[in-house]
Amino acid sequence: MTESGGFPYPGGGRFVGARVKRAEDPRLLTGEARYAADIQLPGMLAVAFVRATEAHARIESIDVTEALSLPGAVAVLTAADLDVAPVPLPFEFDGLAAPPQPALARNKVRFLGEPVAVVVAENRYQAEDIADRVRVRYDRLGVVVSPEAARAADAPLLFEDLGTNVLFERTESAGDVEGAFAEAAHVFRKTFHTNRFVACPMEGRGVVAHYEPRADHLKVWSSTQTPFLLRTTLAAVLPYPEHRLQVIVPEVGGGFGAKMSTYPEEVAVAAASLKLGRPLSWIEDRRENLLAANHAKEQQITLELALDTEGQILALRAEHVGDAGAYNFNSTSCLIEPFIGARNLPGVLRLRNYEWTVVSVATNRSPVGAFRAVGSTPGSTTRDAFLDEIARQLGIDVVKFFRKNMIRADEMPYHQATGQVYDSGDYIGSLDQAVELVDYAGFRRRQEEARSEGRYLGIGFSPFVEATGWGSEIAKSQGLPFSSHDNASVSVDPSGMVTVATSMASQGQGHETSFAQVAADVLGVDVATVRVTQGDTDVSPYGMGTFASRSAIIGGGSVLLAAEEVRKKVLAIAAKTLEASAEDLEIADGRVAVKGAPQRGLSYPEVAAIAHWDLGVRSDDDGHRLAATRFYDPPATFSNGCFVALVEVDPELGTVKLEKIVGVEDCGRVINPMIVEGQSHGAVAQAVGGALLEHMVYDENGGLITSTFMDYLLPTALDVPPIEIAHMETLAPHTAGGFKGMGEGGLMSAPGAIVCAVVDALSPFGAVLEELPLGPEQVARMAGSLATEGGHS
Amino acid sequence: MTPPEERIVRIEVNGRPTSALVEPRTLLCDYIRNHVGLTGTNVGCEHGVCGACTVRIDGDIARSCITFAAQVDGGKVETVESIAPSTDELHPIQRAFEAEHGLQCGFCTPGFLITTQALLERNPDPSETEIREFLSGNICRCTGYVGIVNAVKRAARDLRDRGT
Repeated sequence: MTESGGFPYPGGGRFVGARVKRAEDPRLLTGEARYAADIQLPGMLAVAFVRATEAHARIESIDVTEALSLPGAVAVLTAADLDVAPVPLPFEFDGLAAPPQPALARNKVRFLGEPVAVVVAENRYQAEDIADRVRVRYDRLGVVVSPEAARAADAPLLFEDLGTNVLFERTESAGDVEGAFAEAAHVFRKTFHTNRFVACPMEGRGVVAHYEPRADHLKVWSSTQTPFLLRTTLAAVLPYPEHRLQVIVPEVGGGFGAKMSTYPEEVAVAAASLKLGRPLSWIEDRRENLLAANHAKEQQITLELALDTEGQILALRAEHVGDAGAYNFNSTSCLIEPFIGARNLPGVLRLRNYEWTVVSVATNRSPVGAFRAVGSTPGSTTRDAFLDEIARQLGIDVVKFFRKNMIRADEMPYHQATGQVYDSGDYIGSLDQAVELVDYAGFRRRQEEARSEGRYLGIGFSPFVEATGWGSEIAKSQGLPFSSHDNASVSVDPSGMVTVATSMASQGQGHETSFAQVAADVLGVDVATVRVTQGDTDVSPYGMGTFASRSAIIGGGSVLLAAEEVRKKVLAIAAKTLEASAEDLEIADGRVAVKGAPQRGLSYPEVAAIAHWDLGVRSDDDGHRLAATRFYDPPATFSNGCFVALVEVDPELGTVKLEKIVGVEDCGRVINPMIVEGQSHGAVAQAVGGALLEHMVYDENGGLITSTFMDYLLPTALDVPPIEIAHMETLAPHTAGGFKGMGEGGLMSAPGAIVCAVVDALSPFGAVLEELPLGPEQVARMAGSLATEGGHS
Repeated sequence: MTPPEERIVRIEVNGRPTSALVEPRTLLCDYIRNHVGLTGTNVGCEHGVCGACTVRIDGDIARSCITFAAQVDGGKVETVESIAPSTDELHPIQRAFEAEHGLQCGFCTPGFLITTQALLERNPDPSETEIREFLSGNICRCTGYVGIVNAVKRAARDLRDRGT
């Protein structure tokens, strides 16, 4: 961990690496914070959506007569009333058939819950009453609820024009896969099917749109992770001039990827406000959130592994089949699960020969999109379960098996078979530290003793490498070539206080604190004199926003670079005023002074006043204005670590008690260890849900069974065990500040650790992983306590 | 459809008398948020599971999203806005959540604070198991409950120290 003084700014280093209390907390702890649902504007109306009650049907007619006669009714708008373009692909992608989702269904609905009409009323109670009375007549079509069914020769087609439900199919390879398999001493093959689970932030989505026709100004408040991308997208599809469009992100109650993409509802609410010239508020309820916010994580993965006689991996084949849901609803959402999953499945393994096939298939289920550790959760979980099973069959300890096949620190930078270049890190060191933290040898003794008492303990390991800080370079190496534009501004006002404006947006990650720590150290001032603003496109410079562990690297990096510029200006002003050379000055504790002569110095307020008002010092070319905006598009950097789960399983009841989860994380220079640990803790809790509880279940008609929290189970304080996180700190060699991203590793890796631990506990029964999540029924079946039968959908 | 008959509801909220003419179906959470104007009570699921909207009704913790305002007519309600002793000062429970990183996005936090307050009044020295059981009706998606459990322990300690 970075101790104070470790940050390379003379006189700084007080805040980066320290557990600085969060600037956000006082307002969040007292109810003062304002989320989307808390926004009230004069004359504001409420929106409710009429949603498809069929999973696949032609819309025959929409009758709004009765609905419009109800109290409070202002308007009911359908696709015929709101003429907006679908959200376009951000970049060309070879071979991708990408049918986008319209803002409102036109002619056809393709999944249960798809928005069909916008209801506008005086209040939300009335809006929901009215939505219930909009009569939509459907002509039912055949429904496909799995990729297998959707690929059948006579399957009903979601998009007749395409002639197929397969949206994408591509095989890539590196090395000599066939040759390696021909030489192999052992070949193993298995197909896994991972569960569909969702980000489910505690706050659903929310949009307030306010069009003022005479000012010609459209303001959109949205609980989005990407305010500028939303602005650009809205400008294109409404269409509306982008310079007259302002997106504001209020307090946001969690995102985890699910608030990254531009949703049809965001477009529809903005379009409705443009049409009506009134402020409108749509606050999603939980049923809508579970039905129609993006789903994630489900893949069918077939792995085939070639090994030599010593247990060394020679080659791997992987086929990832993704269930895209009903639309490539935005960007490349239908691809991200299987495509990123296959690219990242090799992870920490030293792999020369790899062949990977990616298939994405449209089905009549909710569209799939981003959720923390996109694509990697299924890939990592199945890889771990597969290797664990193979090690057991070969009689090799799984930790030894990993160690033998993992990339060593002396091989860095490492060119992975998939084309990614891992920049730095000691992956085996992370595994070894985890092994030590859980006292692996001691655990195995404890496990033996417990078994003799009829108790079943288990342990599972999952070392991971995490592509972080998605800038242009890493996106290209992941095969999804979008270019990044992120900026930060740092300015010192005439009173000497510092304002940072960033293109990132926070959903609880504490940006206002972490970015202030970076700026304070670079400028040599107290963190309390720095205020961070974000999430208002009128205030901040342009950027992509917060997703894919970007904020620390790109947000932190751009703040660092802009603050360095301002620091130079502060030194120049002070040098001119003090008649000294800038090289002879140092900054500490908010004061610039001549080295060795602290009495010859100026405070920040003095420097700021001079810079703004002193005509003798102020330059005409703006060179001394104490402000800078810097762009940052970082080189690729990869975090790494290892999660370990310790469990006790009751083979008869099928219950899993998590004893604890231990994680080692290396995310480069740590800005705020408290925040970093909190991110890991949260990711692990979601891993517990994904491994043991959470699963979106559909019936054969495309009906979602799990549309409430009574059926879709989120982990509570009784489900999540104590979590211990240890830090390693391998500075990123190429990024500003040495930062790497983090926050996703826990959900990439801990599900695999938990699954392997359950299998390990049940190894006396010959258990292997059959289906996910590991609910009591599945676990009892694995232990042989229940007869094996068909799995759930 | 005939609009339902509205009625006057009177509720003491955070020690202040409030009243409004509301439809019988008006939820307590909406009464507090829309009629009283206190938006600290967040609504997470609207079906009584997540606990974000937890308030105290006549001292007992309750879910304001599955309670009608009319059911509380004549009663007393306390919300998250009642916890801090003043604008400049946080309550020891709030300070403990801040110190232990017991919150990230803050959306579930008001419900956790209200629930913690009720727990510590009833049991000033709860064990970790008692804390986890008492809080198990509140869902947090950000923290993994690590910071929350530690915050409740710290708050209990601080309140006990202050009491002696």
